[in-house]
Amino acid sequence: MQSAASVKPVERAGDARKVSVAQILVYELRVRDAMSHPPITALPTDTLRSIQQLMKRHKISGVPVRADGNVLGMVSLEDIITALDEGHIDDPADKWMVHKVISLRDHYSLVRAVAEFERHGFGRFPVVDSADRLVGLITRGDITNCLMHHLERRAEEAVAHEAALVAARTVDEKAQRYVFRAAVKSGDFDHAGKISQRMRSVMRARGIDPDVRRRAAIVAYEAETNIIIHTFGGELSVVIDPDKVVIDATDLGPGIENTEQAMQEGWSTAGRLARQLGFGAGMGLPNMKKCSDVFEVKSEVGGTTHIHSEIFLKKATGPL
Amino acid sequence: MTPPTSFKLKTLVPAVKAELFTDASECEITGCYISDLLSDVLAHAKPGVLWATVQTHRNVISVACTKDIPAVLFVCGRKPEAEVIKEAEEAGVILLGTPLTAFAAAGRLWESGLHE
Ligand SMILES: Nc1ncnc2c1ncn2[C@@H]1O[C@H](COP(=O)(O)OP(=O)(O)O)[C@@H](O)[C@H]1O
Ligand SMILES: [Mg+2]
Repeated sequence: MQSAASVKPVERAGDARKVSVAQILVYELRVRDAMSHPPITALPTDTLRSIQQLMKRHKISGVPVRADGNVLGMVSLEDIITALDEGHIDDPADKWMVHKVISLRDHYSLVRAVAEFERHGFGRFPVVDSADRLVGLITRGDITNCLMHHLERRAEEAVAHEAALVAARTVDEKAQRYVFRAAVKSGDFDHAGKISQRMRSVMRARGIDPDVRRRAAIVAYEAETNIIIHTFGGELSVVIDPDKVVIDATDLGPGIENTEQAMQEGWSTAGRLARQLGFGAGMGLPNMKKCSDVFEVKSEVGGTTHIHSEIFLKKATGPL
Repeated sequence: MTPPTSFKLKTLVPAVKAELFTDASECEITGCYISDLLSDVLAHAKPGVLWATVQTHRNVISVACTKDIPAVLFVCGRKPEAEVIKEAEEAGVILLGTPLTAFAAAGRLWESGLHE
């Protein structure tokens, strides 16, 4: 087994947004995702002629020769042509096969596999697992097909996601439900409040009681700023129903170490910049709780945090 | 209980030597709240008050809107950036500034009859 020291390490992109899906895929996908398996193989005692028939039947141009699950050698289409030329097509494979075979490990990334193809100029590699057992075969075509397939799938997923959102929206409009979901970026102080702003105008347009409207806006604003200040980023979802406003804030971590302590007024781990801007009073969570009719914090240290809040809309008790 | 008395913001401008960053002609306020902590304003300021603060960044506008605070007074000679003024105008929040400290400004407002 040869190492692939010439493969460049994953470049730490300064601007992650510039990395395309295809680029992500070549790093994410493994040789085992692209290889064909179980591999079509031959035994050392098989004649080159029977291997030629095998190739014809399966439309392949290379066959690993194995014994006890290990790769002994490789017979390629060129070997067959040579054998026909030189008249040893009825010899057993082990007499003419290539003995020093370079294999790829099944856990290699596709980007590494591509580099190995470039480096050795072979049309195919046997794939072995960590115990050197033959598990598959991979060609350049397999890599292309695999990438295309995954790209397509991602595209389908994106389309399906969009469609689901649109569908949810249509149904919701019938039920007089307003759904709004938006990503919240870590450290993005400049856009804090955009989501609660949008929510306020919907509530105002619906003539929702000003006190309820303010309480809901406070919960959304505090939840949004917490994601900005304290997390790696997350999402805020607002659902406005005829009887209540439901706010859910979820983030990517790092989680709250001690939720009881975090709920105490005045407790804050906000950094200097946040404090300079007037955040970090340690009153966000208590504010949210006070403003909510239902309030839950779910958090795991090293995990994610989920804030759930419901604000009931007051029933009109008569003409105002 | 009588509803809080409203004051025309314009009539209070001279008392705090205020500079107007946006148009304030129609604005009325019912009291004043002083704080530089956004969450504190969200928790304790009453809607309809004039908010006095040293904070001048755009989150002040968001907080004012969230709390239905019609006007913000920047104290100690702080001035907002043009971006912030533009955002305030769009949101209908009035911005003004005073060279006075929050304490001095509050004293003058109190003397002018604003007691909430
Ligand atoms: N989504 C969150 N993820 C991780 N930590 C959080 C989150 N929300 C709040 N915290 C922690 O709880 C503390 C208190 O939050 P909060 O009451 O909103 O006050 P502040 O945001 O002013 O610090 C924060 O300082 C932070 O340590
Ligand atoms: Mg907070």
